Amino acid sequence: MTLQELYGNIGESYEHALRVLRVEKLVDKHIRKLVTNGLIDSLLAAGETMDPASLFETSHAVKGNCGNLGLTRLSEAASRISEEFRPGNPRTMTDGEVKAQLDEIAALYGKTAEEIRRYAAENP
Amino acid sequence: MIKAGQIERPKTVLVVDDQEINRDVLEAILEEQYEILFAENGREALEMIRAHQEELSVIMLDLMMPVMNGFEVLQKLREDEELQKIPVIVLTAEREAELRALQAGAADFITKPFDEVEVIQARVGRIIEMSEGRKLISAAERDALSGLYSRNFYNEYASRLFRYHPELRLDAVVLNIEQFHSVNALHGRAFGDEVLRTIGREIRAFLAETEGIAGRMDGDRFGIFCKKQADYPGLLKRFQRELDRRFPDVNIHLRVGVCPWGENTDPVTMTDRARSANSMVRGNYKNPIRIFDEEMQRQEMLKQRLLNDLNRALEEKQLTVFYQPKYDIQCTPPRLSSAEALIRWQHPELGMISPGVFVPIFEGNGLIGLIDNYVWTEAAKQVARWREQFGFTLPVSVNLSRSDMFDMHLEKRLVRLIEENGLEYRDIKLEVTESAYTNNAQAVLDVIRRLRDIGFDIEMDDFGSGYSSLNMLSDMPIDVLKLDMKFISNIAVSETARRLVLLMLDIARYLRVKVVAEGVENEDQLEILQNSGCDLVQGYYFSKPVPPQTFEELIRKEIQTGRTKAE
Repeated sequence: MTLQELYGNIGESYEHALRVLRVEKLVDKHIRKLVTNGLIDSLLAAGETMDPASLFETSHAVKGNCGNLGLTRLSEAASRISEEFRPGNPRTMTDGEVKAQLDEIAALYGKTAEEIRRYAAENP
Repeated sequence: MIKAGQIERPKTVLVVDDQEINRDVLEAILEEQYEILFAENGREALEMIRAHQEELSVIMLDLMMPVMNGFEVLQKLREDEELQKIPVIVLTAEREAELRALQAGAADFITKPFDEVEVIQARVGRIIEMSEGRKLISAAERDALSGLYSRNFYNEYASRLFRYHPELRLDAVVLNIEQFHSVNALHGRAFGDEVLRTIGREIRAFLAETEGIAGRMDGDRFGIFCKKQADYPGLLKRFQRELDRRFPDVNIHLRVGVCPWGENTDPVTMTDRARSANSMVRGNYKNPIRIFDEEMQRQEMLKQRLLNDLNRALEEKQLTVFYQPKYDIQCTPPRLSSAEALIRWQHPELGMISPGVFVPIFEGNGLIGLIDNYVWTEAAKQVARWREQFGFTLPVSVNLSRSDMFDMHLEKRLVRLIEENGLEYRDIKLEVTESAYTNNAQAVLDVIRRLRDIGFDIEMDDFGSGYSSLNMLSDMPIDVLKLDMKFISNIAVSETARRLVLLMLDIARYLRVKVVAEGVENEDQLEILQNSGCDLVQGYYFSKPVPPQTFEELIRKEIQTGRTKAE
């Protein structure tokens, strides 16, 4: 599997990732890291405790990371959480709705991670 | 030619972001143009900034970070006078944060994700350019040694203070070190620099307590504009005390001139006045401070007036030449033998102005040459006229100022005067004050020797008031010594004064030159000088300096009584 094929498999734009990260090497490096750096796991863990500060920090980091990698859907979902918990912003969702959003992120991430792991295995 | 680009220092960018992916992206975007350093949070960033303060061209700062966020970093930078000079570009995805960051001191912002590469490169480049421009201005603004404003900025800021804050009513102070070149020569440049640094520090400490600004005007001269101080001598003592404490083994003496604020004064005039006051206490180790006062102002205005009026005075012949006779006293009765030409200024509004007032002013700026030329020309014409009128030549001596010695056309000018008036060289005698020989003696001696070789008689004026060594005297090309009047005034009443004059007459005899005694006012003085072998005298006993018409009457009278050297 090539990088382009990986992006095709997860339904995102490789061109977008390359426009931001400029070189294929960086796309390769950071797409692999997404499944090892524990970033999204931290967000999901914050959802367990519903701690607003942790939710904001972790969702903010996921938003940026995934945005740079061209993982638009993950980035946008994380952005909704970070806006919900940005200090000073009024809450617009119930905790249940937040958990539903997080479940969506978990599902999306699960699929994405599976493809990334496959890519990494094929391109050691 | 070496172009500026070749000597530019490498530019270093510090990227502060907790996300490795952001650091990597910025590295990829900027690495071709810049050296890049990284920090993962605010605290680490501050450590790096302090360690690389000198090399950093710009900081790219993420706002949302663990440990210490970007706003805290901006706050810390703002609190530090040096660190706040490094520009910061904030990295953010939030529009509200942009405004907050700019308000907190950020120079610019870049939005995430970093997908507009050229825009990022251009923004970083522009911010660095602007900041370096500011740094250049800032470097020129301060004198590196004293930490005070450099001269041009000091003058500019003083002028702005006067324009925009006239209510401050600032006094001007000019401070410098007595004989600073000697301090440098004796103890080395590094020591001198340390002295200047100390003064700069003390002035800064003083200005921390009062309103004002200060600059290093040049060399060891410092200027201060400050709120009126009740005790300027106390301020001088404070600065002096610190120098004495820091450099206990070296004598360093400050002197100060102050110009108090006044209505309708501008900072340039005030600085000039403070400088004038300062220069009036040059060499005064006992009381090295002077406040510009009304008397000084009056003198300054007179000086300015006379400087302005000189050309008109020459054109309108307000300057006239008076003549004072010299009598040969080694014959009986004494005989009119020659005269000295002396300048007088009959000012249309100020009346008669003494040469004691205006000559020093024109000596100070070289304009004395104009006056001297005028006197030489008038005197030469006068000698020719009297020769025609009376059938004999009465030589006239004229003064040569020190600055005349450095006029490259001097010889030509004098020779032309002699030729144009059909005179002999010995008809115009040249008086040079003893003090004119003091500095750059060899150059002065060379000029005088050449004039004497042409045929002019040289008279040394004010002999005894300068510092000629006897050894030097024997080498001087002179024909006549003129004894300063202060030696003559007491010879009739003081044995010491008399002996001193006798001694000087002996020296003249040893040198085989004639002697003219100036300031002879009474018969007793005349008799002593006659008996001591003095050749000629000049003074009120015979006549005060008089205008040419009066002098003509004197000549006529002396012809009638046979008391001239008419030949």
